[in-house]
Amino acid sequence: KDGLAICPGFTTTHVIPFVDGEPVYKGCCRTNIGGYHITDYLKQLLSLKYPHHMARFTWEKVEDLKMEHCYIAADYALEAQLFQKGGKEAEDKTRCWQLPWVPLPTEEPPSEEEIARKAAIRERQGQRLREMAEAKRSSRINELENQLHGLEFLLQQLGQVQEEDIPSFLSETGYASRQEIELTLTKVTQSLRKAKGEPKPEQAENEEKADSCTSDKYPLINVPDNMLTPDQLKEKKRQIFLKTTTEGRQRAKQKRVEEELEQERKTQQDEERRLENPQLYLEQMHTKYKELYEKIELRKRLKTNGGHTNGSNSGGVGRGERLNAAQRERMRLLTTAAFDRGKGEDTFGAKDEDWQLYKLMGKDNDDDDDGADEDEAELARVSSRLQDIDPTFVPKLEPTASQPTITEVPHVRPLTKEDFQIVLGVERFRCPEILFHPNLAGIDQVGLDEMTGVSIRRLPSKDKALENRLTSSVFMTGGCSLFPGINERLEAGIRMLRPCGSPIKVARALDPVLDAWRGASLYAANSRFHQQTFSRADYYEKGEDWLRRYQVQYTL
Amino acid sequence: MEAEVIKAELVLTTHMSFKRIQMYEKYPKGQSKVRWKQLKQILQAENCQNYSPDEPNYVNIESPPSMQPCKRICDITGFEAPYHDPRTNLRYANADVFKLVRSLPNEYVQRYLALRKAAVVLR
Repeated sequence: KDGLAICPGFTTTHVIPFVDGEPVYKGCCRTNIGGYHITDYLKQLLSLKYPHHMARFTWEKVEDLKMEHCYIAADYALEAQLFQKGGKEAEDKTRCWQLPWVPLPTEEPPSEEEIARKAAIRERQGQRLREMAEAKRSSRINELENQLHGLEFLLQQLGQVQEEDIPSFLSETGYASRQEIELTLTKVTQSLRKAKGEPKPEQAENEEKADSCTSDKYPLINVPDNMLTPDQLKEKKRQIFLKTTTEGRQRAKQKRVEEELEQERKTQQDEERRLENPQLYLEQMHTKYKELYEKIELRKRLKTNGGHTNGSNSGGVGRGERLNAAQRERMRLLTTAAFDRGKGEDTFGAKDEDWQLYKLMGKDNDDDDDGADEDEAELARVSSRLQDIDPTFVPKLEPTASQPTITEVPHVRPLTKEDFQIVLGVERFRCPEILFHPNLAGIDQVGLDEMTGVSIRRLPSKDKALENRLTSSVFMTGGCSLFPGINERLEAGIRMLRPCGSPIKVARALDPVLDAWRGASLYAANSRFHQQTFSRADYYEKGEDWLRRYQVQYTL
Repeated sequence: MEAEVIKAELVLTTHMSFKRIQMYEKYPKGQSKVRWKQLKQILQAENCQNYSPDEPNYVNIESPPSMQPCKRICDITGFEAPYHDPRTNLRYANADVFKLVRSLPNEYVQRYLALRKAAVVLR
């Protein structure tokens, strides 16, 4: 006869006490939280956690998820701790939704026929290229040989012709002197030999010959200065210059060869070390990588003075530059230089030493950059090495582009099945919790269990016995009462508010979703319904704001 | 109407036996032109200030703010969250979550806050 009707609905939750079958309107209580808010909360949470699959989380789908998987925990804090520990019970309570996913078609290792076919094609192409090269070479050889013959013939003729006739004879052919002809002859023979493809020692011989030629060509170097004419002095200077440059070039080449040998040796050593003890080597590489990475990070951070922070200090980069140690140094140098002079007159720049200042400042900056480049090159080498030998290694992305894993799937490895799984763990009981704690959703009102307290407080008559009677028959209806665990939770909640030992009993309707409709239909089907309506004539006469109060009575 | 659509209960049936005038007779063009009144409009129309504050009406019976201390849970994981990030105004549970919080782009921060209705709204 007396009781509390609690209806967590779609957009609101009502608590209505009724005494003697009649609802006590004064004691009603309404909170604006319902199934809609729960679904919305769940939808937002999932979208934020899995932004890639946002399109999957339609309202209807999320509502289905909610109805199927959500439950109300008997004690939120305990459940949360359980999940935080991550033990087996938490695993059991976690549900996983696998989205349809098609694995990328992996490229099959090409079958034997494929390989053979590709090899044949390559062979044919190579053959074609080789033929072309051959043809070109043979034509060039022919040309050179012709030239050679021509030159030799010319020399012979020159030998036969008289001394006086040489200039006139030569002017016809286009060569200036005998030496020139001989020079061109040697050059042509050399290129002919190269074109014929004689082995390398021959070339080295040529180089040596070239060297001896050069020492012959610099005859004036060894002659002391005072014995030469000014023209010859100039000539000597030029020869010295040429000699030093060629020697320098040779030395550079030698150094390069040595460095390469050194590198080879080092990589060999590395390989040996790796084969000996792969695990240790791997760890060493990892630590080295980490150190280098941190060094670079630190330097970058110093440069911009923490300008990477979340974009929230917009002037951060500018401020960072001003406060940088190197920049401070520059400012100091400049200001001291400016104030070093006497008062009033600014004579900075009059002396040459003043400009050395800029060199100092410039050097500070350059050192930084050079060091950074070296480190970065080293880092790149180490990371590529790690990638080769360690299948699980993922190079850390650039800090400017770094995003947390919730917003970006690392593209280094192909997407796996796990990426397409939606895990519902904590969300299962976090979302319906807002029925009992609307603060979690930002709505500043009482939750379900406190609402009963409020409702009882609002009753016009304060009667202990009445209150006990009310709490001993609490009736749950409305769509949201279908959450498993809500009965126990509500009971525990009411017990917290009531004095110790008061009777509490919570019952749920058989069909909470359609309960209200059924009640209204029964009410309308009742024979006495006609007495509780008013006719159209009344409406026309008395206007639309006129209300008539009826006694809505609930009979068992 | 196909059998599957009816069984799926996605759409209202076209012919309802209890109605005297069917929907398709009232609105022949196809789309029902009914504009239901929003709750806000109804409440405004009711003009509750005119009623005496003693009598309960729809607005009157709304529940008061909670007396219990506010429950603080982590915005991202849902665990107990005793800590609070002053820069982003989010609550977090432990150091790992904090790293995540700091690395979130601003858009996500605002959306997490909007769940709690603590987002900065620029009007």
